[in-house]
Amino acid sequence: MSAQPQIELVGIDKHYGTFHALKNIDLIIPKGQFVALVGPSGCGKSTLLRSIAGLESITGGTMKIAGEVMNGVPPRKRDVAMVFQSYALYPHMTVEQNLTYSLRLKRVPRSEARKAADEVAKTIGLQQLMHRYPRELSGGQRQRVAMGRAIIRHPKAFLFDEPLSNLDAALRVHMRKEIRALHDRLGATSVYVTHDQIEAMTMADHVVVMRDGVIEQQGSPLALYDTPATRFVAGFIGSPAMNFIPGTIADDGQHVTLELEGVAALPIGRSLEPSRKVIVGLRPEHIEATPGKSGQIVLPVSVVESTGSLTYLTTDGAPELTVVITGRSDIRSRDTVGLNIAPERVHIFDAETERAL
Amino acid sequence: MRRILSSITDGKGFDLIMVGMTMLFLFALAGVPLVYNVVMSFQQVDMFNLNTFSRPFAGFENYVAIVSQPEFWLVIRNTAIFVFGSIAGQFIFGFALAIFFMLSFPFASTIRGLFLVSWVMPGLVVGALWGWILAGDFGVLNAILRGLGIIDGTMFWKSDPNLSIWAVTIANIWLGLAFNMMLLSVGLAGIPRDLYEAAELDGASGWQRFTTITLPMMRSTIGAVLALGLIYTLQQFDLFPAITEGGPANSSNVAQYWAWQWSFQLFDFAKGATVSMMMLIFVLVASIVYVRSTRHEVRG
Amino acid sequence: MTRVAAPKLLLILALALAAVYLFPLYWMYATSLKGASEIFANPPTFWPREPDFSIFPATWERRTMDTFLWNSLVIATGVTTLTVLLGTGCAYVLARYRNPWIDIGLFAILMLQVLPASVMITPLYVGFNQLGLLDYPRTAVIIAAAGKSIPFYIVLVRATFMSVPSELEEAALVDGNSRWGAFFFIVLPLARNGILVLAILTFMQAFGEYIYSKSIITTQSLQPASVGLSGFLGPNSTDWNGIMAYAAMYVTPIILVFVILQRRIVSGLTSGALK
Repeated sequence: MSAQPQIELVGIDKHYGTFHALKNIDLIIPKGQFVALVGPSGCGKSTLLRSIAGLESITGGTMKIAGEVMNGVPPRKRDVAMVFQSYALYPHMTVEQNLTYSLRLKRVPRSEARKAADEVAKTIGLQQLMHRYPRELSGGQRQRVAMGRAIIRHPKAFLFDEPLSNLDAALRVHMRKEIRALHDRLGATSVYVTHDQIEAMTMADHVVVMRDGVIEQQGSPLALYDTPATRFVAGFIGSPAMNFIPGTIADDGQHVTLELEGVAALPIGRSLEPSRKVIVGLRPEHIEATPGKSGQIVLPVSVVESTGSLTYLTTDGAPELTVVITGRSDIRSRDTVGLNIAPERVHIFDAETERAL
Repeated sequence: MRRILSSITDGKGFDLIMVGMTMLFLFALAGVPLVYNVVMSFQQVDMFNLNTFSRPFAGFENYVAIVSQPEFWLVIRNTAIFVFGSIAGQFIFGFALAIFFMLSFPFASTIRGLFLVSWVMPGLVVGALWGWILAGDFGVLNAILRGLGIIDGTMFWKSDPNLSIWAVTIANIWLGLAFNMMLLSVGLAGIPRDLYEAAELDGASGWQRFTTITLPMMRSTIGAVLALGLIYTLQQFDLFPAITEGGPANSSNVAQYWAWQWSFQLFDFAKGATVSMMMLIFVLVASIVYVRSTRHEVRG
Repeated sequence: MTRVAAPKLLLILALALAAVYLFPLYWMYATSLKGASEIFANPPTFWPREPDFSIFPATWERRTMDTFLWNSLVIATGVTTLTVLLGTGCAYVLARYRNPWIDIGLFAILMLQVLPASVMITPLYVGFNQLGLLDYPRTAVIIAAAGKSIPFYIVLVRATFMSVPSELEEAALVDGNSRWGAFFFIVLPLARNGILVLAILTFMQAFGEYIYSKSIITTQSLQPASVGLSGFLGPNSTDWNGIMAYAAMYVTPIILVFVILQRRIVSGLTSGALK
């Protein structure tokens, strides 16, 4: 017997006047899943999140939360909680009052509300801060209060709208783990919007990549990494971004010739229609680089950057290729380097449709 | 010498001159008269000693005389009605309009700006307009009220002693409404949108959002607006000669007009100074509230 | 949030509210254009049956509006000039630093805003009399009215200066300017718009100045339009036709300027009034 999904979006459409912001979105989120909505600015991920909350109305499709249709239902009746990018803490209330706000609106007795707040505070480590005002808190503390405010309501779903973008890098890494740990501990259902694909990859069970109001691809993080369905997804997931080189399938159907100087034909490990125009995708971390002039691709190096644990090479040419090597390297700028890549790591996309082949 | 010159062109001297000149001017034009006013209220002033500084000392005579005037309590009552009525009317309507204009629709800010025209019009002209609108037999307000069935006969706004102070108050509400609306709009705009969204998700209805988010966060704005309202209402003068001249029989006379009448119609400058001094106390109280509300502005 | 009532509906409501609020202005024009007997029609007509423009030149002549308006112009110009000259530099200094002296200065100015003219007029009159300034009544009014408008001007212009980044000034000083140069060539041009708007506001307010003019200027040929109006305006007036015509001619230039500059004025006020 399949459990009823916690959130079910079928054929969701949204227009802002003439602008078509969301186009026929289908998304099923089972209970307990952590879903990340990723995409570039303007792709509609925030709009979709806000539509689930009821802060935006949809112009078409059906939206169900815990089995009930929510079309037209105002936000305060949907029983979802949202953590805003700016946290939206009530500045004129203490931490405790912020936490208990939703309870006080329902006229929950003072002592009960206080107890609930104390429990939540223990869960996220806010006990010492209960009587402070938001302006006296650091960014990370404010973030936790925002989450506490959501947790205390035991909502049907948690919605996160880029909650970590206002924090510095180190804090972000730390909070990523905390948020995921909290989700697991509470057995919650979470929808998490971010433009940072690393956050999506590390935190989510299920990643949804959006572009221009459409879902380009959705699946587990590693599935998106290993088998991107479109060139866009391939370039969006993974850092540094995948290298793209235009090319043509060779006459024998087993190799691809690249429009790049200094390159022999690459074996692709499968059979494709000869003379087909394609785009070849190579991940920087899958390319092996050896100094010297022998390899599938031989190019001079223009820039070498080292972080101590990784070395980044940028080749001279059009297009430039980025290669990532673990550890140190003897390769210097202006050296010639030979690059090799295993056939199964070569991604091929149709030049016109940009879909994976 | 050279150091002074250099300070003027490049250093502190520059600042001192800029501020100093103006402060001196204001001191001469406001500070000194204020002190002079205090002094005069304790003196016996008449046409003969108007031009000298040393006038016979009168102790509290002027104050006693003022308080014993038959119209004294009437003036106090009128001033209170005028002040509270104006502030209440301007605030309530101004707030309602401010909230309305926060909604988004085309040309919202332009239309809202039109309301400010009342602020740039000469007070006397505003008085003239309302004097005509509030006229007894031929005033359009009575015609409208009759047409709507709210009244039967004629309300003699200007000549009925019970109504005359309200005539001026109505005109003053119209005059000050736009300014209140502007200041309250600024305060409202300072509340981030997502606080309302968060509250809505937390379960707050429209009214609850207003009472738990809007009002508490507007506290200092509201304080400033009310204090300014008091200050500007006590400064309002032009409407009185235009509409009622304080009559009939002082039924619409207020402290500021009364003070002027003493000096410029009865030529008893000492009494005029005395009433002014009594007004000043209230003005000072209001200004302390105002300064405290905008203290963050003073800090920059 | 896109869940509000139809924007078009709100627009209509807004226009209706504005129409109600601005009705007195309409009524002023309507009344002046009605014939002398039509204004006493019962019930009143809301649109003049036969608009009669002759009231305007007639009132202009009869009430010597040319002299009155000229005096208003003189006074307004004098007040504005004095205010801008004295207020701008002061506002600049008060915007640039923050120390106990500045706080005292700001506090004093805020307190000065508060004094009603009706309180000041008595000692000012007596004082002017003793200084012999009453022989130059318009000058006396200009000085007194400037004292009234300068504090308000300073508070608002200071806000304008505070929005000019101090780095620009520092760059100018490093580049070789003296304080005067930095002020005149760098800061002032950047604050020009705000100052202009506030100067215009000061002008419009001084154009309608009444209490000082009424108390100080006794020679009719030197009185401004506001005092001229009060000559035949009062609780017992009957010449409403003439009064409205006078008011219309007096106030229309101000209204025109306001409508043209309305956006600038509003933003100037809202950015400075409450921060």
